[in-house]
Amino acid sequence: MEAILLAQDQPPPTGASTNPVLNGIIWAGEHFIGLFNEAGKQFAGLITGILPTLIVLLTFMYAVIKFIGEDRVTRAVQWSAKWWITRYTIMPILAVLVLTNPMAYTFGRFLRERHKPAFYDSAVSFVHPVTTFFPYANAGELFVWLGVANGVMQLGQSTVPLAVRYFAVGVVVILIRGVVTEFITNYLIRREGKTALFDSYDAEYAATAAGGSAR
Amino acid sequence: MTTVDPDGGDPQYRPVFVRAGRGGWGQGLELTPTPDKYKVISVTGGGIHPVARRIAELSGGEAVDGFRTKVEDAEVLAAVINCGGTARIGVYPRKRIPTVDVFPGEPGGPLAQFITEDIFVSAVSPEDVSLLEGQAVTAGVGAAAAGAVGTAPTARTDAAEGGPAGGPLPPLPDESGTEDRAPRGFFVKFGTGVGYIINTFLAAARQSINLTLNTVLPFMAYVSLLLGFVIYTGIAQWIGGLLAPLSSNPIGLIGIGIVVALPFLSPILGPGAAVAQIVGVLMGTQIATGALPVQYALPTLFAIDGQVGCDFVPVGLGLGEAKVETVEVGVPAVLFSRLITSPLAVIIAWLASFGL
Repeated sequence: MEAILLAQDQPPPTGASTNPVLNGIIWAGEHFIGLFNEAGKQFAGLITGILPTLIVLLTFMYAVIKFIGEDRVTRAVQWSAKWWITRYTIMPILAVLVLTNPMAYTFGRFLRERHKPAFYDSAVSFVHPVTTFFPYANAGELFVWLGVANGVMQLGQSTVPLAVRYFAVGVVVILIRGVVTEFITNYLIRREGKTALFDSYDAEYAATAAGGSAR
Repeated sequence: MTTVDPDGGDPQYRPVFVRAGRGGWGQGLELTPTPDKYKVISVTGGGIHPVARRIAELSGGEAVDGFRTKVEDAEVLAAVINCGGTARIGVYPRKRIPTVDVFPGEPGGPLAQFITEDIFVSAVSPEDVSLLEGQAVTAGVGAAAAGAVGTAPTARTDAAEGGPAGGPLPPLPDESGTEDRAPRGFFVKFGTGVGYIINTFLAAARQSINLTLNTVLPFMAYVSLLLGFVIYTGIAQWIGGLLAPLSSNPIGLIGIGIVVALPFLSPILGPGAAVAQIVGVLMGTQIATGALPVQYALPTLFAIDGQVGCDFVPVGLGLGEAKVETVEVGVPAVLFSRLITSPLAVIIAWLASFGL
């Protein structure tokens, strides 16, 4: 370990010796360590810049979810499944916030078969914009947003204006994706002659919903 | 000794199942008292906790205030605790005593490795304790009172003379226990309430640190290595030069948006959002050096993310309990709709980026 630290503090030797081979080795040594020093500096930057806020925010969010509890949210989700305007906005947002990635898609069970692909498309399209303010919802893919936010921070500006727009446009995009995918799903159902089949699924869904035993 | 001695010499023992409550941990515990192991100790800060009393009532065991009286470990059927997640949660599982925690909590604290699913269950409330249906356990020595095991339910009615009245599930015992000197009233409710809130925040903090250690930090290490390499070797500037013409005008971005969303390409680019994260990081370096103006970050974020989730469509639909035909129709539907919505998202983001 000492060698690395020494190399780090010692300024590059000015009076290089005449022997080119030695110079080459010294050059390689410096740049080899220089590379990892730079990576270390970036890592330190990430740790001090992003991690403290992230951990406290994660703690708060997990506690809030434990207090709310999944079953209270289920009723709100079933309500929002009725209309397309809420099915591709409120429902995916609730799913991603409460169940986080990848369990969010299990809320698809509250929908008719023909709506499931569209719900998946809108929910999965929200897993990156959501990390701007709710990083716990998709902690495995933070650096789509954090990579950019890190750059904006190094520029000295606040990342909030960009974050708010990314989140808002994210909501608009998931609505459009839901509607377009629902339209294409219905078109494919008709084209492949499965209309009767999906109508039977709809009837089956209506029966279970009427029976109040929606899972 | 075939008849059961009604005055408690050899009371009727019944198997009891304790399941995890809402937000609790563990598959649940099956407890069956025997003549030399039938005491349920309640180590909940004094008095006998309703859960402990209910287990004792149902199983025919005896509830003991573990806070005031010492009970030999060998005699303990189960320990009921309201632990903050550090000490008691580990001590009893370590002694292989079945532990019932009335607070929500996962295995944690210094003795976490001893807490296993067959010995610990949490967030238990009185409703979570239930009789195992049907068979009454014949005590080690005597046979069931009415002899025939088949008529177990009736046998239980006159089994324990002092025990609860018959019927499948005895009602919750009222609070007027005989020698129950538990502190009562406002402070207890306030104390357990505060205990519950603190415990939940502690469990949430433990969950966040686990997530950071397992997911966030490893990724930060990998990204820093990438950043260090790209910046130190100057490749960042070279990539910046390459990307700049594309990402500094909307047409280029829409082009990226379409390419990324091509149905045969998006499932390959999708996994783990690896591409999106690497480009996000590279874009960050461009913004830091000023090569890429901040307002172009918004449309670029959508341009490089047209493929999100395209590798996961069948699995995601499966999670939503979709039928086979739905997946057959759903996968092409999602992939083809991306061809339309990915460039569309870039346009919307570009419009929304004015004034940044």
